[in-house]
Amino acid sequence: MKKFTKLEWFWAILIFITLFNTFLGEQFESTALVSIIVALTVMYKGITVIDHFMELKHANRNLRWLMRMYLIIFPSLIIATVFF
Amino acid sequence: MNTSSPNKSLGIFPHSWSEESAGRIPGNIPIWVGILSELTEFAIFFVAYFIAKYHYPEVFATGPQGLSTSLGVANTIILLSSSYFMAKAMMNIRLDNRIKCERYLWLAVSCGAFYLIIKTWEFYWNNLQGLSTSTNEFYTVYYYMTFNHFLHVGWASCAILWVIFRLRSGEYSAAEHSGLEALAVYWHMIDLMWILIFPLLYVLR
Repeated sequence: MKKFTKLEWFWAILIFITLFNTFLGEQFESTALVSIIVALTVMYKGITVIDHFMELKHANRNLRWLMRMYLIIFPSLIIATVFF
Repeated sequence: MNTSSPNKSLGIFPHSWSEESAGRIPGNIPIWVGILSELTEFAIFFVAYFIAKYHYPEVFATGPQGLSTSLGVANTIILLSSSYFMAKAMMNIRLDNRIKCERYLWLAVSCGAFYLIIKTWEFYWNNLQGLSTSTNEFYTVYYYMTFNHFLHVGWASCAILWVIFRLRSGEYSAAEHSGLEALAVYWHMIDLMWILIFPLLYVLR
């Protein structure tokens, strides 16, 4: 049987997070905690794609910084909506 | 015909921004101009979403309940898988394994096609429920965001077919595959936008 490489693990983790977030959204009222968990996991998903699928981890540091900031700022706005 | 390298900068930026100083640019500079423009476009949509949600909290709290969450989840898994296949295609071209690279590109383009079919079905299903762009503010934002994303997946899927053609023509190898890499980073950008869109429209109430 073929060994799971890092890429396969990240793929599995990203799918698991998607299903977990959907479960949270479906089973619970949209509380502050649910919004914060969803925002943090979206950040993690984004940064994983940027670093390991887009392969910016060992590439241009300015592009990596820009992409990471994008995937930090917009999920942070989800947390901000908790305080509306 | 201009044969200069697309990664040669105009010499108008500080040296600290150069590839020698900041690190290699995946793909080429033109694709990153495109990616950053697309990110700006989607950023405007996201800002519009948060402003609208601030002004119409009840509409945005009930809006996602009218959508088919399972179709949204299916499309998220499909796009994540397409990104994985694209990363595997890149891994194989670096090993000069063109057959495997092509196989993964076909899997990626199949994911793109599945996404488009599911999204079309979702729009049709929404229509049957009586939902449209003018139903309320949530659906206006939903249609603007998702239809725009739909178009991006559509033309990027066509671009995958183009790189498959180029790969079969022997244009890419372990030594030179910047065109393929440019498409790969563009495709991942589309996946990233869906990673943001999915919770905003389908999960959060």
